[in-house]
Amino acid sequence: MMIKNKFAAMSLAVVLATMTLAGCGSDKEKATDTPSTNEPAADTSTNESSGDKKLTGDFEIQYFVGGYGDKWWKKVIADFQAANPDLNIKEMSGPKINEQNKPRWIGGNPPDFVYIDGPELNDRQMVEDGQLEDLTEWLKTGTNVDGDNILDLLTQAPQQYDGKIYNIPLVLNSWGIFWNKALFKEKGWQEPQNYADFLKVSEQIKAAGVTPFIHTGKYPYYINGAVLYPAIVSANNGDFTVLQDMAANKVEAFNSPAVLGALNKIVEMRDKGFIDKASIQINHTDSQMLFLQNKDAFIPNGLWLPNEMSKDIPSGFDFGFIPSVMQDAGQKVVANTSTATVAIAKNGKNKEAAKAFLQFIFSKAQASQWAELSGSPSNIKGDISASNAPNFVKDAAKYLNDANTIVIPTITFNADVDKAMQDATDALTIAKITPEEWISRVTDVVKKVAK
Amino acid sequence: MNTGSAKWQRTLFIASFIVPTLAFFSLFTIYPVAKGLYYSLFDWSGMSQDKEFIGLDNFKALFQDPIVWRAIGNDYFLVLGKIIGIMLLATFFAVSLTRFNFKLAGFMRSIFFIPNVISVVVIGVLWSFIYNPQIGFLNAFLSLFTEDKVTIAWLGFMNHTIWMLLPPAIWAGIGFYMILLIAAIQNIPASYFEAAELEGAGQWKQFRSITLPLIWEQMKVSILNIMMTTLNGSFVIVWIMTEGGPDNSTQVMGSYLYQMAFRQYHFGFAAAIGVLILVLSLITTVVLQRLLRHETVELS
Repeated sequence: MMIKNKFAAMSLAVVLATMTLAGCGSDKEKATDTPSTNEPAADTSTNESSGDKKLTGDFEIQYFVGGYGDKWWKKVIADFQAANPDLNIKEMSGPKINEQNKPRWIGGNPPDFVYIDGPELNDRQMVEDGQLEDLTEWLKTGTNVDGDNILDLLTQAPQQYDGKIYNIPLVLNSWGIFWNKALFKEKGWQEPQNYADFLKVSEQIKAAGVTPFIHTGKYPYYINGAVLYPAIVSANNGDFTVLQDMAANKVEAFNSPAVLGALNKIVEMRDKGFIDKASIQINHTDSQMLFLQNKDAFIPNGLWLPNEMSKDIPSGFDFGFIPSVMQDAGQKVVANTSTATVAIAKNGKNKEAAKAFLQFIFSKAQASQWAELSGSPSNIKGDISASNAPNFVKDAAKYLNDANTIVIPTITFNADVDKAMQDATDALTIAKITPEEWISRVTDVVKKVAK
Repeated sequence: MNTGSAKWQRTLFIASFIVPTLAFFSLFTIYPVAKGLYYSLFDWSGMSQDKEFIGLDNFKALFQDPIVWRAIGNDYFLVLGKIIGIMLLATFFAVSLTRFNFKLAGFMRSIFFIPNVISVVVIGVLWSFIYNPQIGFLNAFLSLFTEDKVTIAWLGFMNHTIWMLLPPAIWAGIGFYMILLIAAIQNIPASYFEAAELEGAGQWKQFRSITLPLIWEQMKVSILNIMMTTLNGSFVIVWIMTEGGPDNSTQVMGSYLYQMAFRQYHFGFAAAIGVLILVLSLITTVVLQRLLRHETVELS
């Protein structure tokens, strides 16, 4: 009897436990469902009566922590908090924050302010999904805390989607070609300034037993960003609207002679045997290691490369950099920017605070602060030469602000088209397809997407 | 009255085991599967608040997508290659470690089992280095026999790169099935083999007529298990080593699902791929079970 009782009690306990667990499950359901219904928060009202607006309520900021770190974010948020003591700022950050916050975006309860960087967050997709606030009108007259017009302060203009602006580039980074200045000096090779130079010196490099060019075939957006896109712009006489048209899924743009001309340059590099055969299968780290070991002379990469590999750089290695080598002699250098943007959530509850935060971070003072704390140039025009930013960041900033550089403003392609171009470029570098096939393949995807 | 109470207690006792299991099974298996089926009927980016019901359009698109067909082909290539490779080698090792008494048998058994202890992620990275064209072991080894340095990009062929994923997959799988078969062989009474030997049967004859029929049940389970784990889990090794590239030549259904859901923002389409994996797994299981039906010989 006792044993029976024991069993009965135990089973009862187990049943109870499962019931509570099941209860948990349904509670969670509710928790994710309800926010969309009680959306209007009570505390968003602002005291506009008293000249300077006082920001109150909750303000949520989502920022991904990756290569640029979070030092700048911590600092700028602390400063913003000090300036707005009545505001309750909540930071949501980390390398996994994009995945973690996804349910909130889907549930219509997103954070107010978002930094679009890292995996699983794509600005074009967010615009298409109707997740971002249209900033077009606001930016027309929008000024920052110092009273400067924000748009005038930006080195690269925001991307436009059907003429509308949803997100503002915060980072200014550039794709480009790197080499080892020390090695070039030792071997007497000339640092290239244009495509003809590049071909000439590559011939010498090859003759000396070094492979001229390595890239990461596992992530073909490196070669696309640093070689193909600048080549297209150069072939289009420095006019980057062709890339913007491509990003807007206009089939004619892909059929323009500039695209074919650029692809043919890659074919030329391939057929001359300049591209390291290892490229096709290796990831970025492996390609960068081979480059640092002087096994390959040139590598297409981004300005973050010295920072990323700082622990593995051999002594005496001296980075040489040019945004692009695909221009003909006499043509301007083309810099394809790489960026990360910030935006306001369309369904955010405290847009007032989010706009104030935009005004706060797009100020001249933040230009050097960002460069110092994140190790990359900021998209805000401002003299950072006096700041403590690393030297290569200052050099790069100088390059990107030079009148002789054509700076391609940030462009995000449709994800399907982007992938198709990456696959096709990979196939092109191993002679699996012709440039014409590259174009027909990609335009097929564009037509499908544009539907 | 008394019997009624005893019956009730018995029912409660059984329920206390079944109900929690069923609850967890429903929560973690049935619910996600149902949800996956549901999402496969929508055009949804995976991030948007709105999803559009499009019926079976995702499945129509699925069958018009050449990459899906390639992924299915690659998956079944891996299934077939792994079944043949793992079963041949695992059986060979199991028999040689049990039927031929030699000193290092115990040691060898441990060695062969090691790959099973290593995480698949590590195996992927390890083999990436073996295949590395510049600093890899394979090219360095081949270079010993050639005048020029061998610089083959093992994971960068125009087509059929999927072949190169077979060796790591087989290598990683042998140990477990070997142990399974060793256990089966050790269950066979030694007298059977002794009797056969007295009758003049050689090792091969003994293997064909005694070992194989008596371990067939375990082999069947192994084959089914290899098939299921490959269809559902080939994603890991593909994603670590090639991410489906170059040019989608090593794409399997799992990797394409991931690519579509989280890189190209077609969550509904990805869910449809998930449903496809489920359906193909079920069909293949049924078909394989029919094919492998064989009179089971039982020890008496």
